[in-house]
Amino acid sequence: MSAAAVYLDFAATTPIDPRVADAMQSCLSPGGAFANPASIHIAGRASAALVEQARQRLADLLGAEPHCLIWTSGATESDNLAIAGAAGFRAHRGKHLITMPTEHKAVTESFRHLEKSGYDVTWLKPDADGLLAIDELDAQLREDTQLVSVMQVNNETGVIQDIQRIGEVCRARDILFHTDAAQSVGKLPLNLSEMPIDLLSLTAHKFHGPQGIGALYIADRPGCKVLPIMHGGGQERRLRPGSLPVHQIVGAGTAAGIARDQMADDLLHAATLRDRLWRGIRDVPGILCNGSTDHVYPGILNVSVPGVEGESLMLGLEPVCAASGSACNSTSGESSYVLRALGRSDALAQSAIRFSFGRTTTKNDIDVAIERYRWAVDHLRSIAPLHSAGC
Amino acid sequence: MIATAAYNEAVRRHFADPRHAGDLPADHELTLVADVSESAEGAHIVMSAGIRGDTIAGMAFRVRGCPHLIAALELACRKLTEQPVASLENFDSANITEELSVPVEKAGRILLLEDALAMLWARYAGAAD
Repeated sequence: MSAAAVYLDFAATTPIDPRVADAMQSCLSPGGAFANPASIHIAGRASAALVEQARQRLADLLGAEPHCLIWTSGATESDNLAIAGAAGFRAHRGKHLITMPTEHKAVTESFRHLEKSGYDVTWLKPDADGLLAIDELDAQLREDTQLVSVMQVNNETGVIQDIQRIGEVCRARDILFHTDAAQSVGKLPLNLSEMPIDLLSLTAHKFHGPQGIGALYIADRPGCKVLPIMHGGGQERRLRPGSLPVHQIVGAGTAAGIARDQMADDLLHAATLRDRLWRGIRDVPGILCNGSTDHVYPGILNVSVPGVEGESLMLGLEPVCAASGSACNSTSGESSYVLRALGRSDALAQSAIRFSFGRTTTKNDIDVAIERYRWAVDHLRSIAPLHSAGC
Repeated sequence: MIATAAYNEAVRRHFADPRHAGDLPADHELTLVADVSESAEGAHIVMSAGIRGDTIAGMAFRVRGCPHLIAALELACRKLTEQPVASLENFDSANITEELSVPVEKAGRILLLEDALAMLWARYAGAAD
């Protein structure tokens, strides 16, 4: 990354904590824990011990039992395993599934794949704030409903769903509840031992761990199981074959421990930064905050303005690294499906910018973002056709 | 969400300082205006040409579009100013596409520039009739 870059794209990935990098490096160094943890010799057992230590750290972060955690390559794989695996395990009982169109593609595409395989999927639309109406969910549950999947924190808007209540509704009918918690694990408090959640997907790189390692939580209760979607060795309770990447798992465990220790400070820091950013741009004419302002993870601020084009706004923002709501490089020119599901017009969805920040973000970073955003909007509006400036 | 595409220096320069962005002064013998948009591309162009005799005396544009389109409009205005009006009809955007290293998936947006120039020429031809 350029030294001058101001990185405000933490929802895409977070910088690795130096303590995580050190822990990983110790595995990768000569004499480090490189051995296959499935091997029964002394070196393999040393690696296995590190893997289990990391699993315990992650379990501590989640308030879960370590044997409930399956290592995967990340949240996308966890989502696929949870959804396809649970649907397959319960197929003899019914083939009705429920999710939302505002889920991450790893979830929506998994459900679409199941639809093509004969499953009946109900897509529950959010309200204008991005929230799921629990009554609506309750009304859509059927005798043959087997799985509900709703993410905890939306990756584009930061909107927080009430997964406690959703889980309660599902548990009352013995329906499995999966949540994609890629954006919330390590950032929001979770205590899975007291929450009605059956399946939870996570990835380490969203909380200052390495990319390429994640986990799936599978509650230890009757009727809650998944079928494997890959086949090979018997690793991870025969649910996820493949040699475990020890250095990445150690990194994930270290990141989990740090996140647990620093969560309260991180949350307060994120809230302070979000408030500073919003106060700095809220008077831009026509600006809209996308998603709920009450039920939102404070590390994400997603805003739209009429009259500007998203890709140009992104270039005008440089050196700030944020995310755009427009699929700028696609031939379709399609705007964010999440924001359109919230009722935003194509133009507003396309002008959306997602700022996301966290532990290492400084107030100066936010001030640069404020200055660049205001300049970019002013610049683009000054050259826009007068009747499409929209403000 | 997709990050910013790569832009060459010419795109960055014209994006940051589009000297022909805005409106033409009302002192030309003839002012032609083209208004084209493509909702699927999220782009909208208003392009103006001030004509003196058979020459394009000045050009200006307003645009809502991507950086490549903004830069393409600026570059086209620079190339066409002080050229014969007939240049509007024969303008080849291939040179601009090459100069700005426009990626192939953006070709549709650059075609909007050609549409605008064709509309200006049609308006000129109509005025001449």
